[in-house]
Amino acid sequence: MRTDNQTNPTPVDAPIISLSKITKRFGKTTAVDAVDLSVMPGEKVVIIGPSGSGKSTLLRAVNILEEIDDGDLVFEGRTVGYVEKKGKRVLDTQKNICALRAEIGMVFQHFHLFPHMTVLENIMEGPVTVQGKSREEAHIIAEDMLEKVGLSEKRKVYPATLSGGQKQRVAIARALAMKPKIMLFDEPTSALDPELVGEVFNTIKGLADEGMTMIIVTHQMGFAREIADRVIFMEKGRFVTEAPPVEFFGSCMTHPRVASFVDSIL
Amino acid sequence: MRPTIRRGFLLFIWLVLLALPTAALAAGDINPDKVFREASNLIASGDYQSALEVLDRIPTPEGADNAGAFGKSRIQKAQLYAALGMPDEAEASCNEVLALFPDHMEAKSVLASLAKAKKPKWVLFIDDMKMFLPSLIQGAGITLFLVVITMVISPIGGLLIALGRISGLPPIRGLCWFIIWFFRGTPLLLQLFFIYYGLPSLGVTLSPTTSAIIGLGINYSAYLAEIIRAGIESIDSGQMEAAKAIGMTYTQAMRRVIVPQTYKRLMPPVGNEFIALIKDTALVSTIAMVELMRSANQMFNTYFNVNVLIIAAMIYLLFTTVFTVTFEKIEKRVGAYENR
Repeated sequence: MRTDNQTNPTPVDAPIISLSKITKRFGKTTAVDAVDLSVMPGEKVVIIGPSGSGKSTLLRAVNILEEIDDGDLVFEGRTVGYVEKKGKRVLDTQKNICALRAEIGMVFQHFHLFPHMTVLENIMEGPVTVQGKSREEAHIIAEDMLEKVGLSEKRKVYPATLSGGQKQRVAIARALAMKPKIMLFDEPTSALDPELVGEVFNTIKGLADEGMTMIIVTHQMGFAREIADRVIFMEKGRFVTEAPPVEFFGSCMTHPRVASFVDSIL
Repeated sequence: MRPTIRRGFLLFIWLVLLALPTAALAAGDINPDKVFREASNLIASGDYQSALEVLDRIPTPEGADNAGAFGKSRIQKAQLYAALGMPDEAEASCNEVLALFPDHMEAKSVLASLAKAKKPKWVLFIDDMKMFLPSLIQGAGITLFLVVITMVISPIGGLLIALGRISGLPPIRGLCWFIIWFFRGTPLLLQLFFIYYGLPSLGVTLSPTTSAIIGLGINYSAYLAEIIRAGIESIDSGQMEAAKAIGMTYTQAMRRVIVPQTYKRLMPPVGNEFIALIKDTALVSTIAMVELMRSANQMFNTYFNVNVLIIAAMIYLLFTTVFTVTFEKIEKRVGAYENR
């Protein structure tokens, strides 16, 4: 069963991250419509929903890759990301935003590994450039993370030589090297061939078992069933329903939209 | 029959009259001045063959201690033969003089230049090379110096202008747009003139070298800026997001992630620009810099020898070839990570 993350000093009863009334508009369409979400330390939240439902936008708003139009972002009890300036809400300084992002790991659908660096250099990049660690120290961390995702033998190769599943595992190692307090997964297996989904799924499952806090946006029902503490169904920028997986796939399935969506995927 | 006899008589008289001047000359009454005047008239009218015959009228002297008119006529013959592309006849003519007057200086010197003319074309070219190369190499050194300096300055300037063009700050974006617009939109020659000849009237006097470096540097920065901007914008936006997601600042992301990925893509167009640069340095010859083009031009104006220009062209080609090959090598190396 899940154990509390040793490196996390936040009391268990306070959320790591909490979003309130988050709203994001693209022109006239509202991608995320006044959404509230709190994630407790060690909790695994899985968000599912049809394309264009705003789940990726919501996830990207958490580490401010998407600038929100309204709402508050609270990280470990502090309001982060935005400040009042002359009565107007503006983005916080780059320094503060970068410091926040350094504590939040993110994994993308298309991996976005740095192609000009070897696997090891990819993982060392954050600790060295962002955290200012020595190369020796970063090297030890990187080897550690690589072992965790089971790709130690690939340390010297460039990403171009890896399979999709391997790339995604390296991307996870790269995020983990920053010792994040929470991990965001944006459709981590959607770009993979079906036979490669398993290795990435197992890596994330292993991470979950270690007690990592995570928010996963996915179409993969396996994540919802086997990893989630809470499953959220999102549509048209709003949470339609949320429940623990047992309930979600039980009673919640009676919710007509959820049932038809799950059917359409399975 | 009588009319026939009369006609034959008249023909005889006519022939005798015709033969008279020739008979008088054959008698040995020759005026060298008249011969040379006649020959030079014939040469002027382009009738070299007749001129040769006229000059031949001056006989070989016997027992004279001075070559005099004989020597002069045979040298002129030799020069005419040389001009007609008949070196053997020209030599024979010189030897005619030397047989009688072994110390005739002019005959010797004509013979020497005939020997030179008989050399194969490539030997002559090598001789010219030995003569012109030292100055041309000095000029080529200046050219290379300008190229290398500009190759160092312009990528840095170009990167700064490119980053300015995509910056979020409107004044910087506007300024960088203006720099590109102005320096790409006016001739480099005009810019060089303005910097070297125009700025002194505004109280800024620059040496030719400084003017050349500033002119080439800014102009090439402006060109490279657009190439670099295109390179940066061609990198998948996910790279910037991934860099930001691990906490990098914009500057760190550019320096560590985005810009290094543009190198391979930039090599072909930047190599192209640098080859254009090698040739564009010729323009600074107009602002008193003695680089390759100017030293070639100076020597060409002195010697009217087309080989100077050929040798200069060969040096330019050598430079462009070395740069092309080097850039291909670098392109392969910086892009190694893309190969499986």
